[in-house]
Amino acid sequence: MVVGDPKIARLLEHPAIWRGRSAAQRSGLSTGFAALDEYLPDRGWPRTGLIEILVSRFGSGELALLVPALAALTRAAAARWCVWVAPPLVPFAPALVSCGVVLDRVAVVGGARPLWAFEQTLGSGACDAVLGWVRQVKPRDVRRLQLATERGRTLGVLFRPRRAAREASPAVLRLSVEPLAAGVRLTILKGRSARRDTLDLHWPGS
Amino acid sequence: MRPRSIRAATSTADLPSTRTAEAPLRSLRRALSPAATTHELWAGVHLSEFDPTQGLEQLAIRAQRFTPRVSLAPPDGLLLEVAGSLHLFAGVTGLRHELTEECLRLRLRPVLAFAPTPLAALTAARAGQPLVVTDLAQLVGQLAPLPLDALRWPEETRARLARAGVRTVGAVLRLPRAGFARRFGVAQLAMLDALIGRTHDLRKAFQAPLRFRRRRELDCELSDQGRLHAELVPLIGALGAFLTARQCGVMELECRFVHRQASPTRCVLTLAAPCSDEHQLAALFGERLNALQLPAPVRACELRADQLMPQLLSGRCLWQPGEHGGEAAEQSGGLIDRLRARLGPEAVYGLGLRQEHRPEGAWMTTPPPPAAARRVACARATDTPCEAAPPERPLWLLPAPQPLAAQNGLPRRRGLLRLLSEPERIETGWWDGGEVARDYYIAIDPRGVRLWVFRERAAPHGWFLHGIFG
Repeated sequence: MVVGDPKIARLLEHPAIWRGRSAAQRSGLSTGFAALDEYLPDRGWPRTGLIEILVSRFGSGELALLVPALAALTRAAAARWCVWVAPPLVPFAPALVSCGVVLDRVAVVGGARPLWAFEQTLGSGACDAVLGWVRQVKPRDVRRLQLATERGRTLGVLFRPRRAAREASPAVLRLSVEPLAAGVRLTILKGRSARRDTLDLHWPGS
Repeated sequence: MRPRSIRAATSTADLPSTRTAEAPLRSLRRALSPAATTHELWAGVHLSEFDPTQGLEQLAIRAQRFTPRVSLAPPDGLLLEVAGSLHLFAGVTGLRHELTEECLRLRLRPVLAFAPTPLAALTAARAGQPLVVTDLAQLVGQLAPLPLDALRWPEETRARLARAGVRTVGAVLRLPRAGFARRFGVAQLAMLDALIGRTHDLRKAFQAPLRFRRRRELDCELSDQGRLHAELVPLIGALGAFLTARQCGVMELECRFVHRQASPTRCVLTLAAPCSDEHQLAALFGERLNALQLPAPVRACELRADQLMPQLLSGRCLWQPGEHGGEAAEQSGGLIDRLRARLGPEAVYGLGLRQEHRPEGAWMTTPPPPAAARRVACARATDTPCEAAPPERPLWLLPAPQPLAAQNGLPRRRGLLRLLSEPERIETGWWDGGEVARDYYIAIDPRGVRLWVFRERAAPHGWFLHGIFG
């Protein structure tokens, strides 16, 4: 096989083609930002697994990073749910719709016991993506969440405060997000790549 | 004598022709043959002075202990096929006695008649004749003296027959068929045929509404939820077997815990989709019990499922959970049930839009979205481009606007805010009392968090925080 042939390479990128040795060549879920796709190890968010996003302040732009990918997930033909577990505020439906999210695929879980609800939702297999805001998480809990994402073949996103960066975590990907004037500064704290540089991502319209 | 092998060959050679020629004929003949060959015996119950509002179903449910083939003959009759039950109730006499007792218990006054066809039994009972005809050959002779009124034909038909001097069933049976059908209608002729067993009279069997109720007395009084759950598991197992046998599922299940003095504690489990799986039900009850407050120790528990829903059973082992093509509907239903059982019914909700300019009224909570339905529809609905460049909205909305301090006419929140956008005026709602007049701005705080703030247009001109862009 001519590995360098771009035509063959393009053919092999077809999602229906599975190659035994190509397990390392994963295709992620496009983030909707070209620079971020380049920066992330799987060329996008992982489709299965737990990622942690660490922010110093709520509202630093962590959700705006994810919304284009969520919109793509909910618009897919065989879309499963996209569940928000214990969000600190109400997700504003008109904003989600204007970002292209299909509200029919979105469910919100409130109430007490966010960690339990997060794990149940991740492991149910009924969701494409689950976003969770859990205040107190022990490393053991994160491990359980990671296992649940594998059971349910789900992307789990756990939002945590910046100080959690000191703790070890079994998450597939850990990102630190800081706000900039019209964008965010991203740092990979843990991921399947050697990159540890930062990325300054600017929002498209600004 | 011919050798056996040759005989076998000849017999197999002509076997197919005889079989194929005869088999359909025989089945056809059986289908067309009169009811007598099927050996049916129908008990017709006519309830005189019956109040139709009382409902025949109550009697029908009780009558199901005599035979599974009970059918209603509204407004005041009931039919039972009892040929197979006679030996269990000491023949017709015993059965008549028991059935009369059953009616008297419901304060009904029955007339009972037995005949090989349902219509004959019912007609005899309606005529007030407690006939017992077990042989079809004697049926016509026994029916002949009955008055025509018992057939309940239309008044006009009866009057015309009476003018012709036909007043009994026997007389009408003697009329020529073709002429009768022409003058009085084919329906009446078909009824006569059904009456004397010339054609089959198929009756719809009565299906009692199903419900499940079972009670379990505990050996000792329990107040521990875990042990109470262990006591409930056999009841739920019985419910699971009951539901599986009927291919039904439950959507609402009630458990009552009986105390010594306090009134029973009710624990109602409401499911998102019909469920018949005992393990799933037991797990859900476990969640509910953990949250349940018991006022006193429990002496007995009773499980009730009053409304059963038909459910299609399906194999579920082919797909792994989460695989495309897997039963996402079932999984999501199970997920909603589990979350609701522990967190309460309001814990899971969906989001919807409302046509409203006030931001706090522009969204609403909805029931959780269906798992698989409307996929194509919803994908299309949002493919259509909305109006050109709508104003930017924050991803998070505060439950209520939060007042902000001001300094030099600018809002403060952990430092002075910087306004990034031109004002967007929202001024509406004067007609329903919730009038708002606000100028919205996108602002940024010193740490770089983008906020959605507004300034009241009314007198104090206060600043408020209403959303976070996230």
